[in-house]
Amino acid sequence: MATFSPFDIQARPNRLFAQALSCLLFVVCVGLYIQTSAKRHQANTEDRVVPNAQQLMSGIHASVLEPAEEDDYIPAENASKWELFRHSMIWKDTVASGGRFLISLALLVPAVIFALHIGLFPYFGAGFLRFVLFFDKIVALSLLPILFIVFGIDEWSKIALIVIGVAPTMILDVTQMVKAVPQEQIVKAFTLDANDYDVAYRVVFRQVMPQVINSLRLNLKPMMLFLFAGEMIAASDGLAYRIAIMRRHMGMDVILPYVLWIACLLYLIDLGLRLLNRRMHPWFQS
Amino acid sequence: MVTNKSKHFASFFLTALIYCGLFLSARADAEVPTFTVGWSVYAGWNPYFYMYKSGILKKWADKYGIAIKIQRFDYAASLDSFVAKNIDACTMTNMEALDMPAAAGVDSTALIVGDYSNGNDAVLVRNGLTFANLPSHRIMLVEKTVSEYLLERGMVLNGQQAQISKLRLINTSDSDIVPAFLNNTSNTAVVTWKPLVSQILTDKGVHSIFDSSKIPGEILDLLVVQTDVLNRSDGSGIKFAKAITGAWYETMQKLSANGPTQVQALKLSAAASGDSIDSYRNQLKTTYLFSTPKSAADFAMSSILKQKMDLVRQFCFNHGLLGRDVKSVDDVAIAYPDGSVQGKKGRIKLRFNPTFMQAAAQGKL
Repeated sequence: MATFSPFDIQARPNRLFAQALSCLLFVVCVGLYIQTSAKRHQANTEDRVVPNAQQLMSGIHASVLEPAEEDDYIPAENASKWELFRHSMIWKDTVASGGRFLISLALLVPAVIFALHIGLFPYFGAGFLRFVLFFDKIVALSLLPILFIVFGIDEWSKIALIVIGVAPTMILDVTQMVKAVPQEQIVKAFTLDANDYDVAYRVVFRQVMPQVINSLRLNLKPMMLFLFAGEMIAASDGLAYRIAIMRRHMGMDVILPYVLWIACLLYLIDLGLRLLNRRMHPWFQS
Repeated sequence: MVTNKSKHFASFFLTALIYCGLFLSARADAEVPTFTVGWSVYAGWNPYFYMYKSGILKKWADKYGIAIKIQRFDYAASLDSFVAKNIDACTMTNMEALDMPAAAGVDSTALIVGDYSNGNDAVLVRNGLTFANLPSHRIMLVEKTVSEYLLERGMVLNGQQAQISKLRLINTSDSDIVPAFLNNTSNTAVVTWKPLVSQILTDKGVHSIFDSSKIPGEILDLLVVQTDVLNRSDGSGIKFAKAITGAWYETMQKLSANGPTQVQALKLSAAASGDSIDSYRNQLKTTYLFSTPKSAADFAMSSILKQKMDLVRQFCFNHGLLGRDVKSVDDVAIAYPDGSVQGKKGRIKLRFNPTFMQAAAQGKL
């Protein structure tokens, strides 16, 4: 067997080494953080820009186990951890943001169906494709004043911002997938006495479904970005609302746990979709 | 091929040399102590732009043998930079001086008391709403800023103190607060500042029920410098303080003089925020500028300042703005010119220092 240098394409690190290597950058980042924090705390013992472990722990405690400031709830002496958590700011904010996120996610379903029609039905395509192509290029954030007029400053303007920001991209993406389905299959289905409905939903839709889910996975981050933009502009609860408020007095001890929590949530949603895809479409290999 | 490669190498080497040269010459320039001042758009701070553009600042910096750079920021970003110690001095209100740098352990000194908001900040309502029935309506404002402070002071001064906790606030970014409020008549109350106030008041259905002219001297606009920088052992910090104070009061003089100099000063100050001269004049009307160093120094040494700062620090503490772990309002202490301290003696984080304003008043700069 030939020996390869570590930089060769054909080199194969053993399992343990590969695992260690994948952790390396995490360790480096944490190390750099600790070093910066220690250095800043040496210069200023009360530094809030790069909180140390103790500050972070108290920040996490405040966000998870203490009632939110604007909440009127006063915990009973013997309140359980769960009870405290239910009134904490992180719970409140996650519920608020999560609601907006899930509603937007649900509103993307009709967008996907719409895209299926654009890609498959020539009259639909003629009517809508060019418009969606153009609409996709509009920077959704610049439409905010209009969204405020149409949807008010409550929930719907934030949801609309997400949907308007993400849906056109999804539609174009799905349209491409639909068009990539071999024409022969469609012809074949018709010769086997399928009707329009069968071809659209039982032949084409089934096939593109795993790709649609993958496209959605890629769009999770843009969705979160739009949600954040909306919540930072006008809100009285939500994950980004809290970050905006905490920024006013350099509450990095709360902001950093929030950022990690949001990253975890997104990772979990992504993982969920990936597992769902694998379970539902074992035949699919991308 | 080989010659080609060596040519490449030679050109690379040459470029590297040139860069080294540039770097060295930059180092030679850096012998002159350089200070950076951050400012953001506001009626009372726009003159910094004029001060820089007109050459007044350079004149004073040269006099003291230092260099001063002026950099414009968004307000929040300027505070972040100041707390991170990336800039040496920064314009901010008394409230943010307390809850941003001071509360984050950055010892800060208020060098110049520039002005106070004398109507620039206002509580605006539709449908003849009053403070008594405000709690049942949504109020749009930038939370945890002077806007919220103004709103609470309005409640207190109108006998509605008990209702404060029932207010329903919507944190709204100042960049979108005007369209967000105006476009929907179901939004009935908003707290913001000029020129946004003027834009909102163009809607005839909206009127002001409270503004900062009712709480004079409580929303102060300062120039704050890092105390470390001020006390540098080589004395350059003192030179900086003298230069910037001198430049500021020359700017004030130009701004309050009559004739073409004033017009020029107004024009450049207005241009700093892209305002028209008329709009800027309108903002200045509700800004109480301490146009002479004596008036500013007198205010800084008065007992009124202590009373006002006490209101502000209690507000900051009650809203957790001094930090979640701060157990007492006295943990972020303020030192005054007469040597008195609000809070614990060992924890002074914000200092009012009128020395340089006094020197300017006596013509000693």
